[in-house]
Amino acid sequence: MSKVIIVRTKNISKSNKEINSEKLNNLYKRGFHLLTGFKDSKNSIKTLLSTDKKTGIKINTIGGRSLSTRPKVSLFLADHLIKGGFQEKDILIWDRTNRELRSAGYRLNMNQGGIKIFGTDSNTIGYDKDLTVHRSIGSRFSSIQSDIISQSISLAILKDHGLAGITAGMKNYFGSIHNPNKYHDYNCNPFVADLFDTAAIRGKHKLTVIDALTVQFHKGPAYHSLWTENYGGLIMSTDPVAADYIGWQVIEELRKKHGLPSLKEENREPLYIKTAEELGLGSADPANISIIKEEI
Amino acid sequence: MKRRNFLKFSAAAGITPKRCLLPFASDLFSFSNESNLSKVEARYYKKLPDREIECQLCPRFCKLGDKERGYCGVRENMGGTYYTLVYGKACAVHVDPIEKKPLFHFLPKTTALSIATAGCNVNCKFCQNWEISQVRPEQITHIDLPPESVVKTAQKNNCPSIAYTYSEPVIFFEYMYDTSLEARKKGIKNVVITGAHVNPEPFKDLLEVVDGVKIDLKAFNQDFYTKYVRGKLQPVLDAVVTASKSQVWLEIVYLVIPTLNDTPSEIRQMCRWIKNEIGPDVPLHFSRFYPNYLMKNLPPTPISTLEILRNTALEEGLNYVYIGNIPAHEAENTYCPHCGKIIVNRTGYLIGKINIENGRCVFCGQEIPGFWS
Ligand code: SF4
Repeated sequence: MSKVIIVRTKNISKSNKEINSEKLNNLYKRGFHLLTGFKDSKNSIKTLLSTDKKTGIKINTIGGRSLSTRPKVSLFLADHLIKGGFQEKDILIWDRTNRELRSAGYRLNMNQGGIKIFGTDSNTIGYDKDLTVHRSIGSRFSSIQSDIISQSISLAILKDHGLAGITAGMKNYFGSIHNPNKYHDYNCNPFVADLFDTAAIRGKHKLTVIDALTVQFHKGPAYHSLWTENYGGLIMSTDPVAADYIGWQVIEELRKKHGLPSLKEENREPLYIKTAEELGLGSADPANISIIKEEI
Repeated sequence: MKRRNFLKFSAAAGITPKRCLLPFASDLFSFSNESNLSKVEARYYKKLPDREIECQLCPRFCKLGDKERGYCGVRENMGGTYYTLVYGKACAVHVDPIEKKPLFHFLPKTTALSIATAGCNVNCKFCQNWEISQVRPEQITHIDLPPESVVKTAQKNNCPSIAYTYSEPVIFFEYMYDTSLEARKKGIKNVVITGAHVNPEPFKDLLEVVDGVKIDLKAFNQDFYTKYVRGKLQPVLDAVVTASKSQVWLEIVYLVIPTLNDTPSEIRQMCRWIKNEIGPDVPLHFSRFYPNYLMKNLPPTPISTLEILRNTALEEGLNYVYIGNIPAHEAENTYCPHCGKIIVNRTGYLIGKINIENGRCVFCGQEIPGFWS
């Protein structure tokens, strides 16, 4: 049985504006507690990750300041890892490009002490020289994903996606390869699942945290204030497929609430989630997912 | 490491390094500064509500929201306006024999200044130039080479033509089109080396400003295009017909991949189509496949297969059928379809005597179609 946690709180932020730190901190605290059964960070983090390994937090900053993983959301996650026993230097918050990171409000840090924050296009980083060929995928990995880190957290923002249906934890890894533009046909199916199935991701991924504080439930992945909802939630799971499945249900719920057709009716059901289940990456069957929902 | 890679790439692409004009080719695989991409408004797109756009340049019709790029990776929606990121941003600049394109009936024994930008609108599993075609422009080094500079470079190197090639020129349409106009003013010809996965309107517009086009027909069935090209066959066939009806010189290349597109029956069907739709005089090149990119599991095409397919095409009544990628093969030569004599002798890119005068075979006077001078 896969466990998925949805922790929510009211008024954590107004639209994409400033986030209430205390509330965010409480979401993480409670989320980790519910996920691991341990109240204190030391024990809860240790059940999820090896605290002595270089760990990447893959964020999504393609949406600029309006619709990206906001710095507070990733830095507070990093803070929980540190409280759990990680050293700052072993945590790397990253995405494709420094430009996108900067425009989402991140201050880059490649060489100073502390948590590292940089993009694949930084000097001396780049993409692997060789292609990784696996199932439908033929791509060069960011050397951050393939080389620098040995365990990985996907901290993705939850969005409707015009082609994929939704974008959440698994599709976030499109930002770890050089040619994601080649994988948007057929609602990104089977590409999202096949990419996740590569050793560089499947072998390293430990945790999905979906940032559902502000959810774009229609016309994504671009930001349209008209179709965003202050959902005020985090979705957490060690099962990447179950996490995305629940993220999808949240989008459907919001679409229904706003009188929009389902993704299936719009011919863009995220079938890659089912494909991922077929590859043994996790569960997309509600009967096998235990959802723990909590309002704080 | 990078220099060695470049040389390897050049060899694979058949590029002679000493004629490479890209000044910092050793950095071919490093990042370009993203802010150094172009921001020139794209042509052939439609604005949609909610800052969305639909690109109408190629049959993919990418529909994109703000900040998104198309399948080709070189066009981006910025706030509801669509831009090309590769205008004047050449990632490969070389002086090549025109025969390397291959164009065999177009200004033989001359050179073409050959340019490319990053990107492609399909993803052929057997691509020979994937290091530039299957990347985004910021992932490789490019130089600023606006249309006027391309033309000047061609003049400086005594190239009577400019070839838009290596990756897929359709995706750098605006750059190619404007350069072609500029070249025409200086009496320089333009040739396009393309998979022709393009929509009719832009293609017709392009044919107005260029002089030659070589189209890669990758198979004669949609199944192959779906599985190995990730594109559509019909638009390519339409483009072949459109080009043949225009003033532009057309040649067709068919890369023969063992077991995937090499059955004589498919080739026979294709040759019949070519003869019926275009006529017997369009040069057809059967090219040898070498394992590369995502198709390393197949052997190079047996020479005997190429010879069988060439014979099939000749049997079907095509007059100019060549075998490519096998230097010194006798099917590199042009034979007069009337008297059978060699009228252009080729050994790789070494071109012997050309026995064509005023567009006619010097031995029997047969008219030989082409762009000879
Ligand atoms: S040219 Fe590029 S953006 Fe336009 S439809 Fe084709 S692949 Fe899409």
